[in-house]
Amino acid sequence: MSIICLGIEGTAHSFGAGIASSDGNVLSNIWDMFSPDEGGIHPREASRHHSDVGPSVIRKAIEVASIDVTDIDLVAFSRGPGLGPCLRTTATIARALSLRLNIPLIGVNHCVAHIEIGCLESGFKDPVTVYVSGGNTQIIAYAGKRYRTFGETLDIAIGNMLDTFGRDVGMRFPAGPRIEREARNASNYHQLPYSVKGMDLSYSGLLTAAKRLVSEGVPMADACFSVQETAFGMLAEIAERAIAHTRKKELLLTGGVARNDRLTDILLGVAKRHNAVFHRVTPSLAGDQGAMIAWTGILQHEAGDRLNIADSIVLPKWRTDEQDIVWRKS
Amino acid sequence: MMEPWTIGAESTIYRLEQWGRMVLLKHRPQKPYLLKAIDEFLRTSRTSRECKMLTVARNLGVPTPMVYWVDMHRHYIAMEYIQGKQLKQLVAELAADRLQKITCKFGKLIGLLHRGGVVHGDPTTSNVIVNQKGDIWLVDFGLAEMNATVEMKGVDLHLMKRAFETTHWDHEEIMWSAALDGYRTIHSDETENVFSRVEEIRERGRYH
Repeated sequence: MSIICLGIEGTAHSFGAGIASSDGNVLSNIWDMFSPDEGGIHPREASRHHSDVGPSVIRKAIEVASIDVTDIDLVAFSRGPGLGPCLRTTATIARALSLRLNIPLIGVNHCVAHIEIGCLESGFKDPVTVYVSGGNTQIIAYAGKRYRTFGETLDIAIGNMLDTFGRDVGMRFPAGPRIEREARNASNYHQLPYSVKGMDLSYSGLLTAAKRLVSEGVPMADACFSVQETAFGMLAEIAERAIAHTRKKELLLTGGVARNDRLTDILLGVAKRHNAVFHRVTPSLAGDQGAMIAWTGILQHEAGDRLNIADSIVLPKWRTDEQDIVWRKS
Repeated sequence: MMEPWTIGAESTIYRLEQWGRMVLLKHRPQKPYLLKAIDEFLRTSRTSRECKMLTVARNLGVPTPMVYWVDMHRHYIAMEYIQGKQLKQLVAELAADRLQKITCKFGKLIGLLHRGGVVHGDPTTSNVIVNQKGDIWLVDFGLAEMNATVEMKGVDLHLMKRAFETTHWDHEEIMWSAALDGYRTIHSDETENVFSRVEEIRERGRYH
């Protein structure tokens, strides 16, 4: 008999509920993204959004999965890292369900969940993962019972950089898709600060210079193109450094920014040069959503991981490498 | 075309015999997946930087391979071939006291660079060559920079620490403390500032 897990994700701007079974099927995956009319994401407003839409998103996830609420064997939630108010709202919902349905509660690391759902989809055993989103830019690989961060941003995340640039030039959140469309009509590249330090990178200098390009009258398409090429080029370099260093043969691209086709092309090229297999996680599983939490919850549960409600405090700064990966053998 | 000896992140390395000795040929090939303007800029600037910084580093007392010749248009550097192994490959097999000694030397060499205002830019154990006698060389200066600030030095040590953490997790603590011991033997007014900056940098990039 397979186990059914409800996963609840609410680390930042999205609230999601997904249902997965222990035989590796995603039965449903529903989310609702908070997108303010103007400006960026305020943690308090986002958490209010989560408590407003939470119950209906969960109800819909149960409905789409065609199961009864009593069929749920476990509830997993995103325990961190993320925005404090959002995490607390999500955790409260998860604890209530665990008590009400009398089922175990599992605390899942958001970044680890992105990797595990990517591995489930691709069949990868041991990839170098490029995890790019609004809040994260990390190159992660498994070594010695942990997912270790080989490289990351020294300042702002790539999605945050794209959104901040977009907001500055009048685009709505999230700005990534619009920047990608604009870039297709570019005719000129303008040099922007390229900052790679070992396997780390920095985007703050690029952001400042990109804003300046636009204020100096460079056409929007050219500015967007220059931002993308520079930012993705840096990312490709650190991913390549991680592959060359670890000699791993699988490259996984995940997170909200994985939806970008240009980034995908570049990383495909990187993988080819090193005879590695490449996989981009499908959009519905790449962004923040509950299915990845549900699936990782199952893996943790099967390995005997449990979380008492009394100990289930959220971990806003929970690092990827602080979670013991008890479910992996080697 | 010769068979590559090894394929690195940004270069392809060949070994050949020239003038009766072993020469290491480092080529930065074109990367068709990058924008041509960016690729060309990186290949040229890194090749030029590496040549220069290998020599600058040696003048600061840091053993590095000698540069024999360079082809700036085709992005080749021919340099001395060092008979030895990457520290990365040796960590697991070295006895604890020997590992400590070698890592201490590694820290000392980074300290010498820093005192001279230079950061290595990629101080991982892949870029340290160790010979039979335990002498060490630093290689791969494509990301090295001059006029280094406390921030840049802090990032350099942060990268070193992370390399220990990700690649040598079971020796992480002894390696980090040995490297810091070595670094400390090179006296500089900045040392303590650099150390406290490392902690600061570590916290910065995280999801807040």
